[in-house]
Amino acid sequence: MISLKLNTLLDLLQLADSALPIGAGAHSFGLETLVEEGGLCSETAESFFRDYISEAGLLDASFVRRAWRGEDARQLSDEFCARRLARESREASLKMGRRFSQLVNALVSGTVMPDHAVYPVAFAVAGAHLEIREDDIVLAYLRQSLAGLISVCQRLMPIGQVAASRMIWNLKPSICAAALASKNREVGCFTPLPELASMRHGSLETRLFIS
Amino acid sequence: MYVQEQQPPWKVVRAFSGENGGSLVHLHNVSGGVLSGDHLTLDIDAGPGSIVQVTTTGATRLYRHRQGAARSEQHVKIHVAEGALLEYLPDPLLPFAGSRHRQCTSVSLADRATLLWWDVLAPGRQAMGETFAFDRLHIQTELRSPTRPLLIENLVLEPAQHPLQSPARLGAYTHVANFYACSVGLESSKWRELESKLTDFCSARSKPGVMIWGSSALAADGIAVRGLSVSARELPATLAAIWKIAKRFLTGEDAVLPRKVY
Repeated sequence: MISLKLNTLLDLLQLADSALPIGAGAHSFGLETLVEEGGLCSETAESFFRDYISEAGLLDASFVRRAWRGEDARQLSDEFCARRLARESREASLKMGRRFSQLVNALVSGTVMPDHAVYPVAFAVAGAHLEIREDDIVLAYLRQSLAGLISVCQRLMPIGQVAASRMIWNLKPSICAAALASKNREVGCFTPLPELASMRHGSLETRLFIS
Repeated sequence: MYVQEQQPPWKVVRAFSGENGGSLVHLHNVSGGVLSGDHLTLDIDAGPGSIVQVTTTGATRLYRHRQGAARSEQHVKIHVAEGALLEYLPDPLLPFAGSRHRQCTSVSLADRATLLWWDVLAPGRQAMGETFAFDRLHIQTELRSPTRPLLIENLVLEPAQHPLQSPARLGAYTHVANFYACSVGLESSKWRELESKLTDFCSARSKPGVMIWGSSALAADGIAVRGLSVSARELPATLAAIWKIAKRFLTGEDAVLPRKVY
């Protein structure tokens, strides 16, 4: 049940817009390597993302919740970095978090954002400041992250706009399940192949993405 | 080397002296494996300036869960004091069909402490037709310096509920190998240099679909190398080669394999 105030809804829509200028489109988080080596293709993308959301999405969502609830942004970001084995993906999240924080500070004309926060933490801090409800900010984070990764796939493999939209539509139950499961204090994440793909991304001969 | 306390099924085999003045210690599980309801704890404290290599006498076998019993647990707590070097080189974790196990490893590193650590997770007794036939495996790993967490993993593997063959998890691979090298206080540029060396080695050893390796500097004070493979065959030699590169880089010394058959 969504009962946002109108201006809060507009805030959330803007923050969760995949076109937000924070550099998200430059990062594949290892997907480019997976596609290059045949581990991911248009036929398997939806099932891949269903499992990916239940692992990596769940972990991210737990950090969004904890940050929204007021845990220290710096400590949370350090913990998040310790959970991200692949340097490229870790640095991508830090860069996006920094640019997101700078953008929010500019939009609200104040210094409301931490200066060192990974993206899920920064997203949640902005949400809490703008009085967006906890569940809404978690769902929005997961949905826009998924949309960003599917957009990456569209540039790496033959997936049309309708197919991409259908994928996001079909994965709503997975997003809701991860958002619900992220209420647990201890969440697991087992994604060794995508992590290794990110670790090996710098060794690809040609690269479209920074990570 | 002092063994402060040991209780069955753990047996600490007497220490051998190394050429560098360190101690080589073998840990032996006299019961042959970990049974339902077992709650094993292992505390290792490498004192200031000490040089220690700890290994096991064989794979950690996780036996089938017995109905009505608690899951098995193994808790490993390691502290590496200032200026000490600990090499923790256990044999693979081997979960039998139907096993339910939780393994927690917590490592704290003091300033200038150095750790070289590998681990291997096998899918089960493949010769018996057991591949990912265990019920549940929960692996928690935490590695900390005095100022921040360096590595945190919380893996929950339930193959029947969440297929491990998904490309979001293991894909076609069945074996997971990890290597960690940490030295608290070493500047980040040195870790990037080691990452570059290990990445070159990993690229040369990788054959997608058969075995892949990657290397990445941790958020601070360390580096991780991970490998995925469709068999156990080449993992020990590759891990040993990675260990040698990292040890030579960090300490200027050669890595000497524990005295046992590989």
